[in-house]
Amino acid sequence: MLDGGFILAAFTAPIEIGTTPSSMLWMFPLLAAIALVYKATKMRVLFTKKYLLESLLLFLSVSGFMIMAIIVLNLLSWLVTS
Amino acid sequence: MADTNTTNRLPLDKGLWLITVGLAAWIIPGAGHFLIRERKRGMILFAVITTLFAMGLFVGSIGVVDWVSGRIWFYAQILYSPAVGLIGNITKGGGYPVYGRPCDVGQIYTCIAGLLNLLCVLSAVYMAYCGRGEMIGHEQEQDNA
Repeated sequence: MLDGGFILAAFTAPIEIGTTPSSMLWMFPLLAAIALVYKATKMRVLFTKKYLLESLLLFLSVSGFMIMAIIVLNLLSWLVTS
Repeated sequence: MADTNTTNRLPLDKGLWLITVGLAAWIIPGAGHFLIRERKRGMILFAVITTLFAMGLFVGSIGVVDWVSGRIWFYAQILYSPAVGLIGNITKGGGYPVYGRPCDVGQIYTCIAGLLNLLCVLSAVYMAYCGRGEMIGHEQEQDNA
């Protein structure tokens, strides 16, 4: 049964994250939060549908840029080391 | 209801009002917007920034808030709320060690939450300075009419 102590205890020990390429997936929640907060502060009037759409577009564009940067850096690394 | 119209305030009143909004936004993320009647915006900011900070603490444990060995990180983390100082006080003895990738992810998440809250503080103070809450209130009333 969940209680307050159990929930608090979950914050006293780190979870397991390996040093693997899949750990890069942790950037996506961060990018989503940045997109949501940025659009919430930037939009003059918050209409729910428009706000969500613009946040999604910002999230996708920043994610796309990050993925492109990863690909380019990997290619550079491969060219230098091969 | 609080008067959010800043245009008719005396300079001292206006200054105090802006400081109040800024402090409220720092103490509780989103509270600054809530004070200037931007309630929807305030709730979104509170939910997103608090979730991000809590995720950082969950991933890396409260050990990522360490003002002894991670002072630069701590300066960004405390922008989330002065309550982060209490967490730093708990962890200063080194009883919550964290290393490797969980430490990286936890520190990045908590620091970005703090920096996003700084953006919200500036946004709330700027909106209070411009009387934005009042203006949008009128716009909403016009939309409803």
